[in-house]
Amino acid sequence: MCILVGIGSALLIPGTEIDPEMRNYVPKSIKSRIETDKIESEFGVQDMVVILFSDSCIVSTDNLNQIKNIDRSISRINGISSRISPFTVKSITSEEGMMTVDPLIKRIPTDTADLKQLGKDILKNRFARDIVVSSDLTTASITATINNSVTEKETLHKIDSIIISNPGNTKIIKGGLPYIRQSLVRDVSRDAIILIPAALLIMLLILKANLGSWRSVILPFSVVVLTTAFSLALIPLIGWKMSIITLLVPVILIAVANNYGIYLVARFQELSYRYPESSRKELIRMLIKSLNMPILFSGLTTVAGILGLLTHSIIPAKQVGVLAAAGVSLALLMSLLLIPALIFVSGSGLISKNRKNDKTRLFENILNNLSKLIINNPGRILLVSAVIVILFASGIAFLRINTNQENYFAPKHPVRQASEIINSKFGGSQSISVMIKGDIRDPDIMKGIDMLTMEIEHQKGVGSVFSISQVIREMSKAIYTSTEDGYNKIPDTREAIAQMFELYNMSGSPDDFKQLTDLDNTKAHILIRLSEPENYIIKSVKARISELKVNIPAEVSIGGYAIIMSDFAESIIKGQISSLLFAVITVLLLLTVIFRSFKGGLIGSIPLVASILVLFGFMGYSGIALDAATALLSSIMIGVGVDFTIQYIWCFNLQIRAGLSYPEATSAAMRTIGRSIIINALSVMAGFGALMFSGFTSIRFFGYLVLISIGSCLIGALVIIPAFLMKYKPGFLGFETDYKKTVKNEKESNIIGINTAAFAGSGSTA
Amino acid sequence: MGLILPLLQAAAQQPDAAQIMSKSRDLSITGSLSANISLTITEKGGSSRSRTISITTKSYADGLEKRIIKFIEPADVRGTSMLVVDNKNSADEMWIYLPALKKTRRIVTSEKGKSFMSSEFSNADMTSPTISDFTHKHLEKSGTNNQWIIESTPVNEDKAEEYGYSRKISYISIDKSQVQKMEFYNFDNELFKIIEIKSIFPLSDGKYLVKNMVANNLNTNRKSEILFSNISEGVKVDDSNFTIQNLER
Repeated sequence: MCILVGIGSALLIPGTEIDPEMRNYVPKSIKSRIETDKIESEFGVQDMVVILFSDSCIVSTDNLNQIKNIDRSISRINGISSRISPFTVKSITSEEGMMTVDPLIKRIPTDTADLKQLGKDILKNRFARDIVVSSDLTTASITATINNSVTEKETLHKIDSIIISNPGNTKIIKGGLPYIRQSLVRDVSRDAIILIPAALLIMLLILKANLGSWRSVILPFSVVVLTTAFSLALIPLIGWKMSIITLLVPVILIAVANNYGIYLVARFQELSYRYPESSRKELIRMLIKSLNMPILFSGLTTVAGILGLLTHSIIPAKQVGVLAAAGVSLALLMSLLLIPALIFVSGSGLISKNRKNDKTRLFENILNNLSKLIINNPGRILLVSAVIVILFASGIAFLRINTNQENYFAPKHPVRQASEIINSKFGGSQSISVMIKGDIRDPDIMKGIDMLTMEIEHQKGVGSVFSISQVIREMSKAIYTSTEDGYNKIPDTREAIAQMFELYNMSGSPDDFKQLTDLDNTKAHILIRLSEPENYIIKSVKARISELKVNIPAEVSIGGYAIIMSDFAESIIKGQISSLLFAVITVLLLLTVIFRSFKGGLIGSIPLVASILVLFGFMGYSGIALDAATALLSSIMIGVGVDFTIQYIWCFNLQIRAGLSYPEATSAAMRTIGRSIIINALSVMAGFGALMFSGFTSIRFFGYLVLISIGSCLIGALVIIPAFLMKYKPGFLGFETDYKKTVKNEKESNIIGINTAAFAGSGSTA
Repeated sequence: MGLILPLLQAAAQQPDAAQIMSKSRDLSITGSLSANISLTITEKGGSSRSRTISITTKSYADGLEKRIIKFIEPADVRGTSMLVVDNKNSADEMWIYLPALKKTRRIVTSEKGKSFMSSEFSNADMTSPTISDFTHKHLEKSGTNNQWIIESTPVNEDKAEEYGYSRKISYISIDKSQVQKMEFYNFDNELFKIIEIKSIFPLSDGKYLVKNMVANNLNTNRKSEILFSNISEGVKVDDSNFTIQNLER
């Protein structure tokens, strides 16, 4: 059955598609997506490809020829709807009653004086300066909007070929969302190829180091490989696509799924040493009786934490929740059913011949010292811990949310560099779209559009604004002289506006503003490019538009990629809160059942709550933002980190039930289970450590944050909880467990030893 | 040699492609006339925009022309008028009068605009193309079914850019030398526009005027239709009509 699952999965995985489109991360039903789809159905997709040409002075004959050739070839690509370049910009001028509409660059100058004049003309032209040529005349841009008539891949491939076949002196950088998406697809594939083998290798080495023999390693490792393959195969099977954050699924499983196998193999090894005279069948029976419950609890709490992701409205977060929960459930099932069977078949081959107890001495010394410290100063430890947690928690005030896709890439990545130039010199690569539905020739509506345009232009973080009212104003400047009343104004009559449109149709190309109004002037589009596409900027621009739109007597829709991303940020916050609540409440309930006490559940939740505060506080201080990937961390941390507390309290409880005093129980629990908790935590951290090899900044941050969060769960379980139990001696301790009966069945006189074996897992044999 | 000869004979029977194009062009060049033109642009979704203009042209011996165009419909642009005067060695002179603004402005543009009044027709489609801007050749099946099928390719990159296509295939009736259909190919050599001549208006001098034609843009699924009505040929219009004063009247 397992082999079949493995083969089936292996066949399905290569068919997995990658979805680099971040707007697909939010449900289609949210308002911003509905509005954006509405706007794009009228004015086309607003995703822009931006090609940047840089040189010490871009206004030279050779450079302009290169740009012209590339621009001309790009204009002929089917997948391009429209473009703005130094060669599409018009110059509308008025002189002695004559209106001149001409291309900004009619002919490329060849002598210095003409080039100098062209530089001046560019700086004077409001449709050219900082739109197609930077103010410092060092960079020029071609901005092209793409359409769906051919695949985006094909369009980008053609642009790349055009650039290659037109070499020159300029440094060319390509940017914009289509290129970001292309890089994401490439980098997600690259990451999958690097991260999965890296995580598997790390895990293999950890298993070998802890379990000794290679045969022992094979069992938990096969569970890891099978569950990882199974979860990845679910992606194409369900019809989902791989996203950046789905990359986390294999790493989560590799880091987590081996735990149960480790417990079982290690426990079997322990029992074999302890009862060399027992038959293999007896050993397996003891193994199952002793470990089924703790493994089941461990698995259930992990699944509960991960399922918290289902409350996210971010689609890939839900998918990660389903895939990881399915994988962990399979690992749990295989560990409880398959591994004991395999152990039965493998038998003595699992036992390492070199049992090196010396290795444990270092751990023992550390843990002994730690338990002494806890026994003697539980109050102080709690106080210091509380202070540290509060200090970290205050960092939450600085926590940022970042949904800017550009920041997934390292600062030196070409896509990131292009975005920085576009944002600083060309108005920005991400945009907000406002659609006005009504009679656009109506002067009240046109004046409303004009007012909105002028107000938004001065908003912080807005790079440039394009609207039909700007064209009307420019035309009024060409029709009237500067002393006349109508100069640089929106006309007062519908007829005047209609005739201006007609004038432009006759003199220029209607394509010049097909992005700004539709054929029959019943809809207008204001395109706002953002030089700082940060969430707070997007929110403030959106809020300002909402305030101003009441002055426009028409239906106004606000959409665009940036608005979707702003909603995405809201989803992250809401998803973060709901998934945390879900995970904490579910884990609290499970702990209540496990410890048979609500108070026990509450106490068991202390390390989780502390770790959550430390994690978010650390993110606030370190400047690591909450984004699509890091937002998943807390749920995963809860799922994985709660194990340590369960293990410690369970073990401590058994010492108490065996009649040990609180200090003795602390010392015994620390000496035995403490070591395996540390090793388990280290193996989880090491597994997630593979994420540090990721090409995505956000995924790498996730890897670093796992160290912090699992580390704080570890300290919570081995410092805060022991100190708390020492100090307050809560009444729920001494609860009965089925596990106790197992202990009796084994007729073990030294209860501490049994507990160690039950929970020690990897630690007991190393 | 025996095999090649019939082919050479067949080729020899076909008139030169450029000559056919030239003859067809000459037949469609009109003299002075006046007419109303209605232009309807229909979007993919079915919404449409219509314009009705009246046009009066006067041809001169040197082949140049003066045109006066007045907007009739829709109401908000009624009275908007244009005067266009051809120039032999410089850009056309164009004046426009906007009644709502009571302003006449001369428009100087080196680009006539690729699109005729925002339609699928280019300005080049509205005038007779210069034969020497293209190389012309017969395509397979040219000469059969009373039809010449001629491919015209711009002579250089600049011309291709100016006309906005990589090649055009014209279907011309053999007996009347009238263009029936034109197919336009983009720079990826894909068919993107088809113009069909639906009806013609025969002129007294043996020439003809395209009365009704439809352009379909296969990329945008937009359709534009031009229909001439109230055609009067050979109208005698005084030169004084082609003045700015008359424009504002």
